[in-house]
Amino acid sequence: MSLVVERPGPGAARPYRFPEVVRRDGVVAAHLPGQALAMAILLIDAGAGREPSGREGLAAVMSKALEEGTGARDSAAYALALESLGAELFTTVDWDSFRIGVQAPVDRLPEAVALLAEAARTPRLDPADVARVRDDEATALRMEWADPGPRAEAALRADLFGLEQRHGRSLHGDPDSVAAVTVDDVIGYHRTWFGQRGTLVVAGDLSTVDLDALGAAVFAGAGEPVERAGGPLPIDPRSERRVVLVDRPGSVQSTLRLGHVAPHRAHPDYVPMTLAATVLGGAFTSRLNHLIREVRGYTYGIRGEFGQSRRFGRLLVSSSVQTAVTVPALVDTVGEISRTAAEGVTEPELAVARSWRAGQLSVELQTPGAIAGALATLVVHDLPDDYHANLRAALLAADEATVSRAAADHLNPHGLTLVVEGDAAVIRDELVASGIGEVVDAQP
Amino acid sequence: MSPTGYPWPIETTRLDNGLRVVVSEDRTAPVVAVNIWYDVGSRHEPEGQTGFAHLFEHLMFEGSAHVAKTEHMRLIQGAGGSLNATTNPDRTNYFETVPAEHLELALWLEADRMGGLVPALTQETLDNQREVVKNERRQRYDNVPYGDAWLRLLPMLYPPGHPYHHATIGSMDDLNAADLPTFAAFHTTYYAPNNAVLSVVGDVVVADVFALAEKYFGGLPARADIPPAPDGRRPAPPGGPVREDVVGDVPAPRVYIAQRTHPFGSVEYDAVTLLATILGNGRGSRLYQRLADGARLAQPDYVSAYGVDLAHAPAPLIVSATARDGVPAADLEAGLVEVLDGLADISQEELDRAKALLATAWWRQVSTVAGRADALSRYTTQFGDPARAGDRLPAWQAVTLDAVAEVAAELSPSRRVTLTYLTEETAQ
Repeated sequence: MSLVVERPGPGAARPYRFPEVVRRDGVVAAHLPGQALAMAILLIDAGAGREPSGREGLAAVMSKALEEGTGARDSAAYALALESLGAELFTTVDWDSFRIGVQAPVDRLPEAVALLAEAARTPRLDPADVARVRDDEATALRMEWADPGPRAEAALRADLFGLEQRHGRSLHGDPDSVAAVTVDDVIGYHRTWFGQRGTLVVAGDLSTVDLDALGAAVFAGAGEPVERAGGPLPIDPRSERRVVLVDRPGSVQSTLRLGHVAPHRAHPDYVPMTLAATVLGGAFTSRLNHLIREVRGYTYGIRGEFGQSRRFGRLLVSSSVQTAVTVPALVDTVGEISRTAAEGVTEPELAVARSWRAGQLSVELQTPGAIAGALATLVVHDLPDDYHANLRAALLAADEATVSRAAADHLNPHGLTLVVEGDAAVIRDELVASGIGEVVDAQP
Repeated sequence: MSPTGYPWPIETTRLDNGLRVVVSEDRTAPVVAVNIWYDVGSRHEPEGQTGFAHLFEHLMFEGSAHVAKTEHMRLIQGAGGSLNATTNPDRTNYFETVPAEHLELALWLEADRMGGLVPALTQETLDNQREVVKNERRQRYDNVPYGDAWLRLLPMLYPPGHPYHHATIGSMDDLNAADLPTFAAFHTTYYAPNNAVLSVVGDVVVADVFALAEKYFGGLPARADIPPAPDGRRPAPPGGPVREDVVGDVPAPRVYIAQRTHPFGSVEYDAVTLLATILGNGRGSRLYQRLADGARLAQPDYVSAYGVDLAHAPAPLIVSATARDGVPAADLEAGLVEVLDGLADISQEELDRAKALLATAWWRQVSTVAGRADALSRYTTQFGDPARAGDRLPAWQAVTLDAVAEVAAELSPSRRVTLTYLTEETAQ
């Protein structure tokens, strides 16, 4: 055997350039020469944050209803028209936006965008179809909620933000709130929110694409922009830990969701917070994954990150551990969060986090889909066109003191909510005895 | 439409120790993908050693001669890279995408664990990763409704002794029973340069990559006597329909109908791929139109049909649907069977729709350097020539209605494997 002993150093770094951002009257685009596929996404300010109380999941129901035929053709004809182009229509709902997009071969993009506009602006919304879609969505959610995870996520949101706030409930609602959605809710939501122009994001080889024509197709007949939702909500940190137990009888694993409230996405500490969370739980080599997976063997994986939107944010640590080690895994996890808050990060760990996050920008931003997503981030969070170029520099420049200070300021191990979805009969006594926090049962 | 699915240059060489090196230059972005396929998968595992190939996918990140435990991850992520590995019945695959200036690091790491894993393998690491794999099994298969469907389908599709009979995740008892030297021997046997393909795609100069491959991998010895997997190309024909009904804690009844078709890479399998797309891909597909939209038997988000792209034996086609509220499993199954029995009238329009969707799927796969590197490793490993990666898309485009009709006609009831999940209420 003959192996090279010495680890090679890097060659000369080659600069990464985020493509130039083209802005034209409601269209935000990037030119990606040579790409066979192109992506176009219409962003509408109609995310889950706009949903009325008790109707969580309404936007998702509407997103499905948009594909049930248009003023011009029924659902089967619409699907055939779209899919015969090789186009794939997708819709997503997040807290801040409703997105309807198409990916298609670049020479079929105009036809695909015209079909996108047809669904977004002139959906048929036949009452019988809407009712069926609503029922299907409720059933789909019931399926999803049979998996471990969604109930734990709901319990965490409820505890962090309170059920009276929209974001104190699950992003896509729950089976009951979706079942409560009426046909009039859907038609009304479309009437209220889908008259606005929105923003069209386009990424692909633009050499043969007429952006103005794409814009004309999706903005035809659209009205004025809607008033933006309010600014960031105040944060009220807790000083006591609590454990919320979600019973899953017979479960062979405990699903863990730990978190606390944290700042919104556009907070000035975004970069040092991201790096602190990367050291804690963001990378495979993070403190949490190293201890809980690599040293203890309790889990297949564990992650920790800040999840942030326009108005609010939270720390979220997620894992699944075998039932028997639920308490030791929680103790270790809280211990690593506490250590990171108290002692900050070390330069060697930060060096990995820094170059990983910076390098990921060039590694991940290769495809039309990824670039379109990055452009959407600019639009939703009102960020400048040079944001990605500056982000790279800011990540590489963040020093140990700044990141450690962000860890101290934004990690709150004493105010954590620890949601445990598992076999309560097996783990309850040990959880109580551990004294890790007051144990309460999740509201059903 | 491009006449080839791979309009980028491809250069190849073979080192003296048998390592095949494939390079495809693309200077668009300053990134490079490194991808290694080892021609070892769960099909090579003898009885009593199931799960070994997959366990190595884990052990390969736990240190080697000059790389400490977990240092592989730290170095790649510290270079800004993404990395992972996968195992299936056919092969084991390791890959990373890094900023281009870190190519040499990636090659050094891959060479060190190809040639130097065994000296670094400790009992502690083995025990730790066995526990991680058991948790992976719990998380993916045991703690999820329908999670064990694949584990149940395989032994019904392939007879005992067939290389695809057992699932890649393997038996936890087998993993527990084996000792450190047994695992070490598995690595020594299969992780040899002449059993691997190294593909490098992105912002590189071809001659540089060949020189670096020689520098880092050239000193590793070839292995002369790598045992082949059992030949599974001609399994005994099914003796008739097979079925299993599982009553369990599932939210709704679900039906899987599966059968063996043809090996990935054959013209017949290309027709199967088109047929699966006609059946189950998109809202314009037959299953969606007839079961979800038409007869309203199935939940729209849960109808599917796909081929599992395995190359060393007739690959499975799997069709599945989940019942809408109040629909009995038997009605759903009857609806699914009706669709499968009524494939004689596929139209040109349906075929063209499927071709358009597959073209988009293909271009999406090769839109990243990582996707391209994986394709080159696959076609070199399984068909001896990376350039054949460019053939798949034109081969799909060339599939005729007659060819689809022929494979559709083979979906005969006597060859079917049926797996149903029944809820506890509906089973009573």
